Amino acid sequence: MSVSLPGRLRVGPDLWAALLLLPLVLVPLLSTNQFYYSLTNQFLIGLIAALSVYIMLRMDLLSFAVPAFMAIGGYAAAIAAKRGTTDVLLLLPLSFAVPALVAFPLGALVLRLKGVYFVLVTFVFNEIMQLALFETPALTGGSNGIAGVPPVTLLGLELATNRMVVFVTLGTAILAILITLAVTQRFRPEFAAIEENETLAESLGLVVWRYRTIGFIVGAGVAGMGGFALVNMLLTAHPSSFSSFSGVNYIAYVIVGGRGSLLGAVLGSGLLIWMSNLFSSQGQYSTGLFGLLIILVMTLAPGGLVGTGARLMRTLRRRSAGRNALVRGDQ
Amino acid sequence: MDGIISTGLIGLIGLSLGTQYALLSLGFTLIFGILGVINFSHGGFYIVGGYAAYSLSHLVGVPFPLAVVFATLFCAALGYGVEYFLIEPRVNDHLATMMITLGIYLIMTTGTTAIFGPEPPEFRFPVAGSFRQHGFYIPYANLIVFVVCTLVIAGVYLLMFRTRFGVALRAMADDRAVASAQGLHPARLFPMAFALATGLAGLTGALVTPILALDPHVGDSVLAKSFMVVILGGLGSIGGATIAAFLVGIFEAYSSVYLGGSKGALALFVFVLVILVVRPTGLMGRVARRA
Repeated sequence: MSVSLPGRLRVGPDLWAALLLLPLVLVPLLSTNQFYYSLTNQFLIGLIAALSVYIMLRMDLLSFAVPAFMAIGGYAAAIAAKRGTTDVLLLLPLSFAVPALVAFPLGALVLRLKGVYFVLVTFVFNEIMQLALFETPALTGGSNGIAGVPPVTLLGLELATNRMVVFVTLGTAILAILITLAVTQRFRPEFAAIEENETLAESLGLVVWRYRTIGFIVGAGVAGMGGFALVNMLLTAHPSSFSSFSGVNYIAYVIVGGRGSLLGAVLGSGLLIWMSNLFSSQGQYSTGLFGLLIILVMTLAPGGLVGTGARLMRTLRRRSAGRNALVRGDQ
Repeated sequence: MDGIISTGLIGLIGLSLGTQYALLSLGFTLIFGILGVINFSHGGFYIVGGYAAYSLSHLVGVPFPLAVVFATLFCAALGYGVEYFLIEPRVNDHLATMMITLGIYLIMTTGTTAIFGPEPPEFRFPVAGSFRQHGFYIPYANLIVFVVCTLVIAGVYLLMFRTRFGVALRAMADDRAVASAQGLHPARLFPMAFALATGLAGLTGALVTPILALDPHVGDSVLAKSFMVVILGGLGSIGGATIAAFLVGIFEAYSSVYLGGSKGALALFVFVLVILVVRPTGLMGRVARRA
């Protein structure tokens, strides 16, 4: 097998994306500014959601269902924290496992759908989740949501301060990025084959549905971790935190950043969340400015930030190589 | 006896909802079928149509029918511009066009909120009163909307299946490479197709919002509804969208009466999912395009 796997070890740029997060540990250490705390939390939670989109995109599947899985993970953690344990070492795996378990049978149904049908069904799935949350008040608190979720603990130590919340979010994000790295690296050739040409991959003996299901389940789990981080930041689980349209934002993070790499997800979430915080001072115009930014990036930098950056680098390198060749020719 | 009449009446309401949904989703499915673009700004053109008709008829004083015509033309022109300048350069990149139309939608909701405020305006249908018969009544406004929607749907069918323009558009939808080789110009036809579809969305908005609701965020649910109808019918299929629109309309009318609002909506979603599990390309869909 090892012969056919030259691509499996190209961890380089993806690992850089993960390392980019490490300096964020300085934010809660050096600063007491609540605004920076909030911005860091928002960025990391948005990033976790974007990672879920990214995993699915590796197999050419565009999923709007991220908020739905975030809701499952977040609510699962909130219910467990209310009724039993608040230990982060239990809640975090739980917020991964419950959406993953839901995704397993669901994947069997929806992964049969191709292309745009899948895209639109995931959109519909969000609507179903919203209605289901409102219709089950006994479990989810209905339109009130679950308020007063106790802060998480780590081996009996309460992580209640805002500073600790940033650490928990950062830890969750790093774990999510490591899971994403592990899955996309482990199955890189398989995912790439499915993305490139599914029919061909299948005819060459690749069991496409198996890898799709793995990707779908892990994507759902990662989204659930994002839901946990969101609930932990707000100390409430509420349907409005998981609105259908937020799924569109998470997709925008990945595509604006550059759909082909993990680095794109990090840069895209960073840029768009930072900008939408800037825009929010503009009140009612903020959504429009966000839309304008998306249009600008897509028109001026079609490969997203990373794709266009890489193309610029190549052009520059080729140009300088060409100049060197000219110089040599003159001699 | 009473039960039979009311059951029939619910069916009638479903039919009239169905015509509105059909008109709405025809545009969405046309754009997808011909250009391969998922148009997230579809609901945006609906609200722009609604607000254009509102401001013309209530603020400027243009007669309502003329206001509807102008709103339709305005949305068509806007759609033409949007396709020509923003979508055409990236028309083969599904993700990019989806993001661009999403951006346009966000700008449209912000724009209408900025101009008209977040509160729904008082937009009334100019014809009041109802048609009364043996213990039931139908508002004239609903009857007029029903008739106009039906006529326009018939018009779209004639256009798509009986004119050279329609044949050209359908050829583009069937096989772009062959159609181009036969001398059809995508760069000329695509903006026209987009204008046709956004004109239809604007027309629906102008006609329907006075009897339903108009506010800057009504586009979200309009988009979700178009999604449902179009995946149920089969993407890109005009006939499928029409049939699915009536199915959804009738299902919604009955379920909202017998199950109540949000349970009814839940039942509808589950109904669509079940159909898709049985027929993964919708009722009349062909081989799926890549997303």
